[in-house]
Amino acid sequence: MSTTTAPVKARRSTTEKQQETPEWRKRLTSDSAARVAALLSFFLFWVLMSALFARVPGPVEVVQRLVDEFSRGEVFGNFGSTLYRFGVGVALATVVGIAVGVIMGLSQLGRAFFESPVLVGLSIPAIIWSFLTVMWFGFGDLSPIVTTFLTSVPFVIVNVAQGVRGVSRDLRDMSTTYKVPLSRRVKDLVLPAVTGYVAAGIRFAIIIGWNGVLLAEWFGGGGGVGYRARWWYDANRFGGFAAWVVLFVGFIVLLDRFVLDRVIQRAFRWRDASA
Amino acid sequence: MAVLTIKNLAKTFNVGTPRASRVLDDISFDVRGGTFVSIVGPSGCGKSTLLNIISGVEEHTSGDISLTSDSGGPARMGYVFQDPRLLPWRSVMKNMMYVQNDRSEATAGRCRKYLEMVGLTKNADFFPGQLSGGMQQRVGIARAFAVEPDLLLMDEPFSHLDAITARGLRAQLQDIWAQSKKTVVFVTHDVVEAVELSDRIIVLQPGGRIYEDITIDLPRPRRQTDPTVATLQAEVLGRLEAMKTLSRTPSSAAA
Repeated sequence: MSTTTAPVKARRSTTEKQQETPEWRKRLTSDSAARVAALLSFFLFWVLMSALFARVPGPVEVVQRLVDEFSRGEVFGNFGSTLYRFGVGVALATVVGIAVGVIMGLSQLGRAFFESPVLVGLSIPAIIWSFLTVMWFGFGDLSPIVTTFLTSVPFVIVNVAQGVRGVSRDLRDMSTTYKVPLSRRVKDLVLPAVTGYVAAGIRFAIIIGWNGVLLAEWFGGGGGVGYRARWWYDANRFGGFAAWVVLFVGFIVLLDRFVLDRVIQRAFRWRDASA
Repeated sequence: MAVLTIKNLAKTFNVGTPRASRVLDDISFDVRGGTFVSIVGPSGCGKSTLLNIISGVEEHTSGDISLTSDSGGPARMGYVFQDPRLLPWRSVMKNMMYVQNDRSEATAGRCRKYLEMVGLTKNADFFPGQLSGGMQQRVGIARAFAVEPDLLLMDEPFSHLDAITARGLRAQLQDIWAQSKKTVVFVTHDVVEAVELSDRIIVLQPGGRIYEDITIDLPRPRRQTDPTVATLQAEVLGRLEAMKTLSRTPSSAAA
């Protein structure tokens, strides 16, 4: 009896697979292609919605309004004011959030002390803070700054505290054995270990904080992106309103992609080091 | 150098709860300055817990423990763990400096000296992730010696390494110890390793009591291939086998 055996097909290496894949397919399946596809889908959806509903301004109208605002000289002053308020508020939230988060993560007593205020802070929406700060501080820079700070700081605290509690027990024991001073432990052990959590906290602070600043400007007046958006809203001109929203959202996206992402990559360069 | 004195030391986990378990019971011994003492015993007999109590990471339930330094000041301790325990985001040199008392140039020089002794001078600026397991453990050893400890604690430092790397590191440890003559308490479950390195071996039995205190009177440097070392290793191993047999018999368990 004769037996026939099917030829064994050699498994291809990743290098061979790489070489055999056509260039166009590599490009189409890349991360950048996925990002472009997402942007394109959103843009098409926007065009479709504006074509279907008269009260949704289309991209052309929004760009036109934006150009108008630039030509009127409204953009730089208002955008600058918002950026200043937003920047100060987020920076304060980051510093205070890291400090309180580290205390909550390291000390049981600190956690017991701050837990309830942070929970209350998390549950109060930005709109309530914006009303309160306008009543407290009036129509200046202070109310949007405080609103940004108050809406975003609990998110930084929660993230950092969670990160600190997750710091390796082995490394903490090693530090205890060698009697490493607390300040050095915080600087060289805790903070680098919680970089990812700090970054996530700052991202939250930015996303939540810009709600705060815009709402405070919306209700408080005194110039800024929120104030200008409301001006168009009151005039029943949705194109102008959308132009300001697009401008600020675009800025936040660029800030995240080109500044925060790069800072995070630099902070994690040790992870790329492998034997 | 330092003298370590332990008297009637006991450790019970989960005291006052139904899950209470005594891991160390009536431990008494002292370690004179400049001696290398190994603590051996089967898994779960409390070796690492004892080391953690000496280092201050763990608290003891009863008994006394004291560490006196020749200098009169507080005794400084170095610790080599089973795994290297290096900060992955700091370079080798920064890891060495992390545990030092000060950041002076003299201290940095001392760190470089010990890195050289373990053959890692060229890797001072590497991140731990760029080193092999054996190299990382060498950094751990250099770090412990670089703090110029009065007492050096080592918890199965070669147990995670392959046989050849472990052998090389044991030889290296003997050389460094011969030069520095630190007081060392070394935990291992490997009797062969203990005989090669130690002046004295304290054998712990299951239940956390001292079974035997054996003096190893052999010339240094010792190598496993040396027949006198091999003979003594076999003898100590035999005594441990006897302890295991004893602890398994019902009458000894009842006692």
